[in-house]
Amino acid sequence: MELTITAFWVFSALAVLSAVGVVFFRNIIYAVLSLISALVMISGLFFAMGAELIGALQIIIYAVAIVVFYVLVISTVPEFKGKAFESKYILISLPVGFLIFLELAFVSLYGAWKSNTGIFTPEVISEVSNVKAVATVLFTKYLFPFEVASLILLVAMIGSIIIGKKDHVIDEEAKS
Amino acid sequence: MELLGTVVVLTIKSLIFILVMFLGAAYLTLLERKFAGHVQQRPGPLHVGPHGLLQPIADALKVLTKEDLVPDSVDKFLFYLASLMAFVPAIMILAVVPFGDPFTVFGVEIKPYITDLNIGVLLALAFGSISLYGVIFAGWASNSKYPMIGSLRKAAVLIGYEVALGFAMVGPIMMAGSFSLREIVEAQQNIWFIIPNILAFVVIIFCILAETGRTPFDVQEAEAELVGGYITEYTGMKFGLFPLAEWYIATFVLSAITVILFFGGWNPLPLMGWLPIPAIVWFFVKVFLLFMFFLWVHWTLPRYRVDQITELAWKVMLPLALANILVVAIWIMIFG
Repeated sequence: MELTITAFWVFSALAVLSAVGVVFFRNIIYAVLSLISALVMISGLFFAMGAELIGALQIIIYAVAIVVFYVLVISTVPEFKGKAFESKYILISLPVGFLIFLELAFVSLYGAWKSNTGIFTPEVISEVSNVKAVATVLFTKYLFPFEVASLILLVAMIGSIIIGKKDHVIDEEAKS
Repeated sequence: MELLGTVVVLTIKSLIFILVMFLGAAYLTLLERKFAGHVQQRPGPLHVGPHGLLQPIADALKVLTKEDLVPDSVDKFLFYLASLMAFVPAIMILAVVPFGDPFTVFGVEIKPYITDLNIGVLLALAFGSISLYGVIFAGWASNSKYPMIGSLRKAAVLIGYEVALGFAMVGPIMMAGSFSLREIVEAQQNIWFIIPNILAFVVIIFCILAETGRTPFDVQEAEAELVGGYITEYTGMKFGLFPLAEWYIATFVLSAITVILFFGGWNPLPLMGWLPIPAIVWFFVKVFLLFMFFLWVHWTLPRYRVDQITELAWKVMLPLALANILVVAIWIMIFG
């Protein structure tokens, strides 16, 4: 029990420190590095709470699959280096950031209140394991939202392919 | 007090695993060099110790005592961090790989694994994919053209094959009904999962070759084009960590996972269960055979082009892995 509490404090302290780093590092590649660190620490928090499936998915999806594209873009565009923030965006980013914060706070409070009312109590979870609990809910009660989410992803994918497509490639070397 | 005991035991066990892995990786380098030598009709390392047997120790001493050069215009912190970020996740996969069932020696129960999480496969996949950052940051921090190109190539390869690898692992997981590597082995006592999962096995072979940067896929350090890829600017032990992590530790650990997923783990070969061979020996024999297969491919085949590699990943490997899921689903519906 004590180990879980120690792990919780260590992971949450490191997560908050890394999140501060994301905001205040002027070099954008260090900001991304602290973003990765924050996401990995959050997955550690999930592990400490016994939600090991979510912890592993947190690493695979957020810490790797998504952030790797940030890293690729940032590391190939050298102009970003050193231009961490421009003051003209602060005016717009403060209210928008506050709105997003309110939304997240509402969602997490609502989730914390709602999670006590479901059928999956800790006893049931330890009986059937996390994977089966998540799969059962995902493929019965929430099947329709799940499929809609995958459709949205498909639309986004097709859209990005169309935007990124070139009609014809000009071969610079062949011309000269 | 009991808590302290658990922590101490786990620490000692992890240290033993890591030390054995280091020594093992050192001798895997000798094995690879000998094998490569014989493939190319030369004797390989011969002069240090009897028949070159002490060569890995000489290599280690040389790498450790070399001057640690850091170029002027690199990002120093990331430069150091990148070599660790490539190396540490590779060795962290060891935490979830089981090497056998618990057995008793002199009345003490020994568990030949560090943890038995019920999501072992997913965690191995997660740690494996995190090592991608080491490659990208090494390329960026070096502040030089060849490392940058090499790391971008490697990133493109890894992103493509990581997806196919994940989908190929679904087949055995479906048949065992569990993410735990130990339960997957226990489910293969009668029939190995290679039987309906042959497509997934082909995909996994390609994925491991690509992820560990072995020859048909070694575009990241194609020496004729890129000098040394993302390790061009590195020297000394930092230079040594990259191939150690990729070529030896990652190949070994991924071979172990493949054996667990497809070849029955530490179950004996069919019809040979009566032989007095312990389970752990069976396991290492299988892993060794698979590792030698990768060496064989590495030192025999020429290299693909970059566009061929990504095309192969998205147009061949991913559909094959998805087709395997269909085959396995039909197999499960027919045979239960």
